Amino acid sequence: MASRPPDPRRQRALLAVWIAAVFALSAVSDLRVLGASAAALGVLFGRGIFATLRRVGRSVVPVTAGLSVSSWALAFAVQGTPPPLAPFAALALRTALIAFLTFAVLGRVNLLRALAPWPAATRLLAVTLGQIHALRLLATDSLDGLRSRLVRKPRARDVVRGAGGITAALFALSARNARDVSDAMRTRGF
Amino acid sequence: MHVPDGFLSPQLTLPAWAVSAPLWTWAARRHFGRAAAESLPVVGSLTALAFVIQTIMIPVPGGTSTHLVGVTLLALLYHPLVAFLCESLVLLVQALFFGAGGITVLGVNALAMGLVGPVAGWLVWKALRRLHERAAAFLAAWVAMQAATLAVAAVLGLQHALDGRYFPVPLAVVLPAMVLPSLTVTGVVEGAYTVFALSILRKANLRGVSPA
Repeated sequence: MASRPPDPRRQRALLAVWIAAVFALSAVSDLRVLGASAAALGVLFGRGIFATLRRVGRSVVPVTAGLSVSSWALAFAVQGTPPPLAPFAALALRTALIAFLTFAVLGRVNLLRALAPWPAATRLLAVTLGQIHALRLLATDSLDGLRSRLVRKPRARDVVRGAGGITAALFALSARNARDVSDAMRTRGF
Repeated sequence: MHVPDGFLSPQLTLPAWAVSAPLWTWAARRHFGRAAAESLPVVGSLTALAFVIQTIMIPVPGGTSTHLVGVTLLALLYHPLVAFLCESLVLLVQALFFGAGGITVLGVNALAMGLVGPVAGWLVWKALRRLHERAAAFLAAWVAMQAATLAVAAVLGLQHALDGRYFPVPLAVVLPAMVLPSLTVTGVVEGAYTVFALSILRKANLRGVSPA
């Protein structure tokens, strides 16, 4: 038997709870409360926790932890005295926790279904997501093409020079593709 | 230059949402109604392009990051409110799928990068485009970048002034850290990108493209 599609109202309720939880977490600056929140989130989202942690570790932690450490060092250099470490640690932990909660909840929500009552928003989101995917593919293809034409590894200058020539064609292609998607969605009532 | 989730407390993020939400509704009604059927695909493509160029972020110690924005072009082609909506969409997609920026700071980021910057750039464009169109586009994008960066630095400084334990880096550190790369590198590259993209769009002669 085919599984039933998720209920849009339930999806929207989950999104609302997530937004409230994220705002609540963003108000916390105490390291002990953040630690307790981390434990609670671990229990609540036990299923798939490692995949979510891996995603947070890959996309958020290197940037925010790096920023916290380097900002601490810069503040030390500018002020002459070492600033307290706890606020910087709380900053890094808070951003990581919010990212974890976001990825954990959004992995369980069908965003386009939740947006169903707003057709124009759905159409713009679908067109944009489609184009992001297409442009990323095209960028990868053009970089592969550049690599195949050079005997050495492409340098930043090669990439910029190569990008200039193909951007016009890529953009025209992307705009036409977006028009096709948009027209198709309009004919289906979006 | 996104502010990540967790860098600003609800004292700042909630008012920013309160300002942004009605602006989103107003802008969507004004620019994305049935009359926008022609321009929506190009807007979607430019939004996707802005998304792609914003993914190359360079972290800035003492601040957040610096990167191209790419939506000043939308302000020049359509209206600053279109840029505001599209930048908000870029920020939303980045927050939901890529962990950049965030949902609590969406209002702050959208106002800084999607409204303050593009409005500043659009005013420069309006004032100078009759003198020299390419120079006006370059300057508009450069000014937009500086305005957006200043807005982000000011908000981070304000957060430190409100609660130093929450955001521990003072404005004296944040401001130069954010503004210097923007003045010297990203602003110039943003200007060059805008001039280049504008000339490409002219040559491509697409439906639904006409400078505002």
